[in-house]
Amino acid sequence: MQRMKRFKWGVLLVVLALAVAACGDDAAEEPVATTAAETPATTAAPEPADDEPEPEPAEEEEEPASETTTTTAPPPPPPEPVTVRAAITGDEGTLNPYTYISGFPGWNILMLQYDSLMQLDAAGVPQPWLASSVSVSDDLTEWSVTLVEGVTFHDGEPLTSDDVAFSVEFYTTNPEASRFARDFRGVADVVVHDDYSVTFVLESANPGFDVVALADAPIIPRHIWESVDIPSEHDFGGTNIGSGPYILTEIAPDQSYRFAANPNYFRGAPAVDELVLIIFADDAGAQAAIRTGEVDVIFERIPPEQIDLLDAQDPLDVILGPEFATQMINYDASIRPFDDVAVRQAINLAMDRQDIVDTVYLGAATVGSPGWIHPGHSVYNPGIAVDVYDPAAANALLDGAGYADSDGDGVREYDGQPMSFEIITNASDSLRLRIAELTVEMLAAIGIKTEVLPVDTAVWENAVWPGFDVNNGRNYQIAMWGWSPPVQADPLRLPWLVHSSLDRGFLNLTGYGNAEMDELSEALAVEPDPAERKAILGRMQEIIAEDLPFVLLLYPDGAYVYDSSVYADWEFIAGQGIVSKLSLLPPSARP
Amino acid sequence: MAQYGVVVVVAVTLNFLLPRLMPGNPLALIAGVDVGMLTPDQRAEIVARVGLDAPLWQQYLRYWGDIFTGDFGFSFRSSRPIVDMIWERLPWTLLITGLSLLVSAVVGVLLGAISAWRRGTKGDLGMLSGMISIESLPSFWLGMVLVSLFAVQWGLLPSFGAVTPASDLEGWAHVWDIISHAILPVTALSIVGTPGVYMTMRYSMLETLGEDYIRTARAKGAGERRVLFGHVARNTIAPVITVLAIRLGFAFGGTVIIETVFSYPGLGRLVFEAVAGRDYPVMQAAFLVFTAAILVANLAADLLYPLIDPRSRTS
Repeated sequence: MQRMKRFKWGVLLVVLALAVAACGDDAAEEPVATTAAETPATTAAPEPADDEPEPEPAEEEEEPASETTTTTAPPPPPPEPVTVRAAITGDEGTLNPYTYISGFPGWNILMLQYDSLMQLDAAGVPQPWLASSVSVSDDLTEWSVTLVEGVTFHDGEPLTSDDVAFSVEFYTTNPEASRFARDFRGVADVVVHDDYSVTFVLESANPGFDVVALADAPIIPRHIWESVDIPSEHDFGGTNIGSGPYILTEIAPDQSYRFAANPNYFRGAPAVDELVLIIFADDAGAQAAIRTGEVDVIFERIPPEQIDLLDAQDPLDVILGPEFATQMINYDASIRPFDDVAVRQAINLAMDRQDIVDTVYLGAATVGSPGWIHPGHSVYNPGIAVDVYDPAAANALLDGAGYADSDGDGVREYDGQPMSFEIITNASDSLRLRIAELTVEMLAAIGIKTEVLPVDTAVWENAVWPGFDVNNGRNYQIAMWGWSPPVQADPLRLPWLVHSSLDRGFLNLTGYGNAEMDELSEALAVEPDPAERKAILGRMQEIIAEDLPFVLLLYPDGAYVYDSSVYADWEFIAGQGIVSKLSLLPPSARP
Repeated sequence: MAQYGVVVVVAVTLNFLLPRLMPGNPLALIAGVDVGMLTPDQRAEIVARVGLDAPLWQQYLRYWGDIFTGDFGFSFRSSRPIVDMIWERLPWTLLITGLSLLVSAVVGVLLGAISAWRRGTKGDLGMLSGMISIESLPSFWLGMVLVSLFAVQWGLLPSFGAVTPASDLEGWAHVWDIISHAILPVTALSIVGTPGVYMTMRYSMLETLGEDYIRTARAKGAGERRVLFGHVARNTIAPVITVLAIRLGFAFGGTVIIETVFSYPGLGRLVFEAVAGRDYPVMQAAFLVFTAAILVANLAADLLYPLIDPRSRTS
């Protein structure tokens, strides 16, 4: 027993010693341990200023200025370096194309360090960026790009056609960066003509290649990435070599990222000299911090109820604009009773969209078009009525289709059972949960009984979109759902949502099918004439509004809060919001 | 000791199984939100690359291998080495949980002793109901109140984080920066942690005070001080030590709520995010750390007990 006890003590002592050693280490090395690598010397930007409001470098530069006053007229005082501290919620990994985490704002922050061949302008239209010109063949299968000459990566190496071809090949052979692998799906070949001109040869016509791929995927340097084996696990030494306006200089996990401006940026040096991203655990923390002045802008949409509160506080301002995110009702249209178009139409008519916008979003959203496309979008079909709320018509429709309430309990029946369903939604999205609650009331008014089932996000995703593969079917009756802005921003993606063939309709989560819709989808993909494409999209919106593969409720508006005394030149890109390099570049460098 | 071995095996097995029994799919974390837009081939390639296509028993054996080599691989979410991720966060978690454990232990034991010593008086009852009220405070609410008063309203302390981001502070300024950021979370944790210690101390002491040997000690003329320290305190402290040892074990798990309210970069938040996104490898590694910490704390309590209370010594 005695020996046993000694052994126990030994175990305990070793563990304690380890723990103490670990803590001791930490105390000694704190500043180093939480700091990633320094910027490589070759890429050194002007010394990043402290994040104090009155940075020292400005004072230092005053001296030489005063000396010159004796001989010449006083030059304008050098502009004080601007540091912007932005709040984000949630860690974004090491922020390279294989490790950034969220579609928003992760991709947007990624693109501060990298460039794409094209760049969306404020209206959301792609403009040449790394490209000086982009042209497409009549059959839409060959996209030719001429590059701006003299662009360099952060390490000084030139960016050429070779890097473009390499990026495409790398993304396609390493599909963990799913977004970029998808961008270049269908690229049969990339022909490099010379250092600055390159042609993408596509397997089939793709009229939206500029929006989907050219304005989306970051160009990565071959000389850095060609030796990379497992891209997501590769250690790049704490910074990312891109060609973008910002250089990552420091990562403190779960705490902050630090970026220095790239003074050699090919469109001109950024207006903001240092960008610090501060990671919050939730949006309440970020809102408290912008009120105390600890951050200068929030890189997330602020909830509707905060818009007026924050705007009222000086020097805070709120910028609003359209975004193409969606809130919608999905149902499994392949099962009874949702396979009956009358039921789907009745649900559509029962939804008081204006009431949801006013009650849940306090007005900070756009009432949804039943035809899916945002009324502010260039391909919106103005013939689609947006305000369709008519519960009486909905009731008449259900009565006419034979869904009677035979036992008088206020709930209609179908196939001998009550129309009583669960609405599954993710509990973490409180606005969506509130919409679900209003939906219950609105459906009750037409004799359909529903109950909200709030669950954890992964459970909800797995019910609506098992394994993220529509081939796995669906495990829900009614679900609250929403797509991120890119799905709608490019209207050519509409077939993804409604095509009955699951390899074309790989976002068709409602099991919907319609022969005319399939034909239109096929036609859309090969139509070279933009006006013709718009006409096809117009007809598709009509079918959606009539056939209702899903019920679109609203498009939340983007609302961002910033401290106007620190930096106020934010650019709102329609459908994308303010988090982009455009916001941080001087207006002269914006497209 | 064999018991501990069994517990470890069971715990490790549960750590492996629980994440996989939860509904949901980690693919979205590995490949990003656009995973649904990949071809089935590309998807299969990703699954194979992270080893999720292997039969469960192979994944299970690999997990045991990880434990023995101390290499837990890479996070699905951030693609960073998990050992690094845990080491980066553990010190912050231990800083605030450790300090608050210390504060609540000292305050709880002292107040508990005073309360019991003056049992039945107004002071005792007031303190008791005060502690019960404090215990019922939700910690997130307490945290938010502290932030809105001390940070937003009065601007005395920072509202979030463990250090001022990108401040380049060094030396004492850096130390003060860390302390000032820790004050609010430690205060919140100490407040909610104290009632438990206080209650244990008070009840344990009340029990001791009722024992015959205390009456005997008093009867033989021992002074109050000698009764308190020589007889009561020694016999009272054992259950309190057990409570504190177990709390020390749990301290490694961090505190999801307080770390979230104060955006503090600790383990609790890491695990919360891992669970939400089905980041299996991070969950497995973090749960293992928690299991180990709690087992070691239990072991420590087991070993300390005989030193404090000779009756529990075995032959």
